[in-house]
Amino acid sequence: MKKLTFILATLLASAAVFAFAFTTEWKVGPKYNIAFSAGEVSGIFKTFTGSLFFDDKDLAGSKFNVSIDVNSINTGNGLQNKHAKDVDWFDAAKYPTITFASKKFAKTGAGYTVTGDLTLHGVKKEISIPFTFANNTFAGTFQVNRNDYKVGKPGGDVEDIVKLTVSVPVVKK
Amino acid sequence: MFVRLLSLGAISGALAGVASLVYQKVYTDSLGYDFSAIVSTPKIMMTCVAAGIVASIGFWALHKLLKSNTEIVFNLIFTILSFASILGPFKTKLPLDVEMPELFVGLTIPMHFFPVLGWLTLRPLFIKSKDL
Repeated sequence: MKKLTFILATLLASAAVFAFAFTTEWKVGPKYNIAFSAGEVSGIFKTFTGSLFFDDKDLAGSKFNVSIDVNSINTGNGLQNKHAKDVDWFDAAKYPTITFASKKFAKTGAGYTVTGDLTLHGVKKEISIPFTFANNTFAGTFQVNRNDYKVGKPGGDVEDIVKLTVSVPVVKK
Repeated sequence: MFVRLLSLGAISGALAGVASLVYQKVYTDSLGYDFSAIVSTPKIMMTCVAAGIVASIGFWALHKLLKSNTEIVFNLIFTILSFASILGPFKTKLPLDVEMPELFVGLTIPMHFFPVLGWLTLRPLFIKSKDL
């Protein structure tokens, strides 16, 4: 019985390793764009890093693990940038990164959906992000309710629902 | 007096423009960040000359209304407006490819005071106090 369990575990581990090994790894290109818009305030995050494993024929082996540097926020206005990094909003000193770790991928009519954990302002929540992959570029638009992550106070000039637009050109690693 | 005031506005504005350009050069060289694509030389010169001419027209109009009290009232209004104008740089939203918008206010706020300084400094050369 122990021998059988060992063989099954070895087979499973080998399958997982092979699935991962055959999924294409992509390197983030320099001209990516991580933009957000929430009413009167809009801007970009300038620093985005992470590992991207994606193969449309192997969604089970695909994996995104990405990170955004909160301090790289740029709204185009110096005061707004400072304000955004303050304790009341992103609290960049305490929570310097926004991370997304994928759990599963699914094929949809227009493209794909990745479901995973978005950790923002110290709050981790599962979200689904629709995206497309064409011409070696991942592109997607989705919305996040900033109140779910306790970013800022509800209401005010900054809308509660923040629209995010992501465009990430990649090259095979 | 109107022509002399217009000359004062144009000349003090041009000098304020030159002072702004010198300040921009010093600021850029010391901080290593260049805003000349946003705050270009023609924009600086035109804004300063326009500010000087508008100030002169304002002075002339005020003189028609107030006569002897023109100087004190005008100086006060011009200075207050210059201070109020610094809200502009604080509210300006720059293109997102500008890496350091935080440095923009340090460049532009001093420039907002050059027209008033130039105009008030040169005014006695163009309009004598006894003419008021």
